[in-house]
Amino acid sequence: MSSVFFERFERHAHGEGLKGHSTHYCPGCGHGLIHKYLAEAIAELGVQDRTVAISPVGCSVFLYYYLDVGNTQAAHGRAPAVAIGHKVANPNAIVVAYQGDGDLASIGLAEIMQACQIGLPMTFIFINNAVYGMTGGQMAPTTLAGMKTTTTPTGRTRLTGEPLKMAEIIGAMDGPVYVERCALFDNKQRVRAQKAIKKALRLQVEDKGLSFVEILSECPTHWKLTPAEAEKWVKEKMVPIFPLGVKKDLEAETERWFNLDPPQFDSARVLDVIGAVSRAPARFGEAFPSHIDAKDVAIKFAGAGGDGAQTIAMLTTRTAINEGFDSTHIPSYGPESRGGTSYADVHIATGEVLSPASPQPHILVAFNPPSLEKFGPHVQPGGIIIYDSSVVPTPPELDPNVQMVGVPCAQIAKQLGKVMVKNVVALGAMQAATNLFPRESFLATIRDALQKQSALLALNEEAFACGGTAYEEATNGTGA
Amino acid sequence: MASTKTKERPKPFLFPQFCKACGRCISACPKDCIEMGTEIHPATGFTPVVLDLEVCNGCGLCLSACPEPYGLMPAPADVDLELLEPETLLGERGSTAPTPEPIPDVRVPLPELETMILKGTHASAVGAILAGCRHFFGYPITPSTEGAELLAKLLPQLDGVFVQAVSEVATVNMIYGCGGAGLRCMTFTSSPGFSLMLEGISYMIGSEVPGVFFDVMRGGPGLGNIGPEQGDIKLACRGLGHGNTHAVVLAPSTPQEMLDLTMNAFDLAFKYRNPVILVSDGYLGQMTGRVQLPSYMIKPGLPEWAVHGDEAHRGNLICSIFLSEADLEQHNIHLLEKYDQIIHDEQRADLFHCEDAEWVIVASNTPARMAKGAVQQLRDRGVKVGLFRPITLWPFPIDALTRPLQRASGLIVVEAGAGQLEDELRLAASHAGIQDIPPIHRVSHYGGVLPQQQEIVDTVTALAGGIV
Repeated sequence: MSSVFFERFERHAHGEGLKGHSTHYCPGCGHGLIHKYLAEAIAELGVQDRTVAISPVGCSVFLYYYLDVGNTQAAHGRAPAVAIGHKVANPNAIVVAYQGDGDLASIGLAEIMQACQIGLPMTFIFINNAVYGMTGGQMAPTTLAGMKTTTTPTGRTRLTGEPLKMAEIIGAMDGPVYVERCALFDNKQRVRAQKAIKKALRLQVEDKGLSFVEILSECPTHWKLTPAEAEKWVKEKMVPIFPLGVKKDLEAETERWFNLDPPQFDSARVLDVIGAVSRAPARFGEAFPSHIDAKDVAIKFAGAGGDGAQTIAMLTTRTAINEGFDSTHIPSYGPESRGGTSYADVHIATGEVLSPASPQPHILVAFNPPSLEKFGPHVQPGGIIIYDSSVVPTPPELDPNVQMVGVPCAQIAKQLGKVMVKNVVALGAMQAATNLFPRESFLATIRDALQKQSALLALNEEAFACGGTAYEEATNGTGA
Repeated sequence: MASTKTKERPKPFLFPQFCKACGRCISACPKDCIEMGTEIHPATGFTPVVLDLEVCNGCGLCLSACPEPYGLMPAPADVDLELLEPETLLGERGSTAPTPEPIPDVRVPLPELETMILKGTHASAVGAILAGCRHFFGYPITPSTEGAELLAKLLPQLDGVFVQAVSEVATVNMIYGCGGAGLRCMTFTSSPGFSLMLEGISYMIGSEVPGVFFDVMRGGPGLGNIGPEQGDIKLACRGLGHGNTHAVVLAPSTPQEMLDLTMNAFDLAFKYRNPVILVSDGYLGQMTGRVQLPSYMIKPGLPEWAVHGDEAHRGNLICSIFLSEADLEQHNIHLLEKYDQIIHDEQRADLFHCEDAEWVIVASNTPARMAKGAVQQLRDRGVKVGLFRPITLWPFPIDALTRPLQRASGLIVVEAGAGQLEDELRLAASHAGIQDIPPIHRVSHYGGVLPQQQEIVDTVTALAGGIV
């Protein structure tokens, strides 16, 4: 009698009458034994207060009736995921997941595999009785070949699969530190099971790793055998298919490794990590670019993925916000993030950006012919289009009220030694063409963006300047 | 163990009413001291085993073979076993666990900070950190992944934990465990992933476990596409798994609200011990804009109900099982009262030019921004139009809409979805006893297409009898 059992099982039908001190298990069921060994191990290791037991769905769903520890009842098969949640929430908690064969080896296969792959120090007790108990004797993944269940009424056949040998599967994984299969059919096996459960728990207490103990357990009710016959059946029928013994034990060569520092809540540290600053950015503009629109300027940057349209869209938004205006940037990618179409909508508003889409932009920057053909016709009268004339030799005929300027962005960038900066060339041209914000304002944003890649700064500054010059050349300095 | 050598080992003792007569002890006893009884016990209907302990040496093997916790047990010393009753030996109490006290959250003031420029999902991730979330569980899915990626980078720098789960099903159950341990944790997902989480959300609601779910909605049904849609409003508002479930559903429409509402979501989740759902469209998730940080951050405490794995919280249970129908009905009544309180206290809406509006547009998330632009454009022309933007989709903020409804000649629901927002409006009006709803018109798109400002302007212009 271990003190880890509740003195009275109040959660069992309000603990009235016999239910205050009896389990809900059928006579001869193995679960009660395993509960006892688990309770004893928790008591002997002195971890009752730290233990969180995860009850599964299955006959042992009511584990929380009995163990006077922290209890969480999990959805069918999900105990390993719930266990991970508990363990990372409190690394000092001793987390025990207790699962049956349907729960662990059928519906919850993905979860147990991941938990064992990660190998956080936790304890998994897997009860294999080759049958679904709670739902009334259906086939389990561990049901033996030829065995009759309510869903294999003529016996399990090849068509319904071979019994799943979980201890061997888990034992072959890198994550766990200790894996053993035990049984309960005689005194010797019971002593082994007791020891295995205690060891599985101890390895967690010592922060050494994940343990998995499979226990072949009797289900006299659904096997339609007496308890004594059921013990014999495990020994004679199950053990040949599910060999007993240690499948993996790395205790000797494993050091205590699991250690998580408590999360930090120091405000200075938090602000540093999220990149918040109290210094104001430099401002250069005098006023909102109302020569383009009184309240809200819409811009579209368009090209193929990799053209850098998103980057200069973002630089434009940053510049606008740094100047004290509201601005939004929305990217729209093709199905691939490289090589597909990529366009960006940017808005800059005096007050608040309302609709952030730019179906009819004031400014279009186009890096290839399809972009120019697709978006060019929608540019507002009085607007401006900058296109990369190195890839658009003959631009389409568009509204004469829209100014079109070809700037050989790619060619200039190539001459500068890095074709990648063609977008910054285009940005320089756009600045010169629109005077959206002063040159210095864009340059400050570029410098800020390249803080950690200062080697690229000179190249980008040059590209930006060349873009401006190229615009002046393309328009013969007339600006139109 | 040492003491057993110096004194006699205890022999087994049995309260016969706790014996189920399985007989496992019989074969365990090397001295044949135990045999199956023949008398039926009147309380159990079993025939308890009979002990004859003449030759018993107290080896204890029978104790280890008895599956019942209060079946065969070591005989207590110095008592008259004949007169022993379970109550005197086993005690009355269910548990000796202490009664835990809640540890309150602390609001830590922050200095004045510069405006940040953040993508929507990033703003939400930053909001989560400021709200005290240090644990994230998730499965990558476009277009929500950038939020997860940022937390994967930032959380370890704060000794937080980022776990990439094996699936969305595992994700929600990790949140169930971590939230059940009393911690603030969250996930980012998108529509197909959100569908997979619904079972777990039902468990969380049933077990009263808080947690924050951010669904960046994309085009459906099925795999659909990664374009922006609002096709999960029905799931979030009406379909949170099985059972009588509800959760606060927050719908941000700017990067600033992505941060602010994510912070609110954690407070609401813990206030009500219930999940909170944030929904945005993929457009908003990807949208970069300015974000002002709040004047405080949260250092979370620990609620008294948590299953934390420590002494104070040992007596706690996270569980959604109520076997007796009467108990489960009571639990449902408790949940329904909670929902009623949420409906009463948590409705939130943003009204723009609704005070004299003859035409009221109803829209949320990004479509609300398109609609706001349309309202501005129409007002410039003198059309009396307003925007009613629900910030809580559930509870739908019907109270704030009551007055505009009285004046309006028509409502125009603008949504990237097939009437899901409209259904929330209709249900809320119906429940609020509002009989006369003006005709409801629609500007809807599906499949990743957003309603645009101009078509909203055109629709309202046509309704108002003007020339498009």
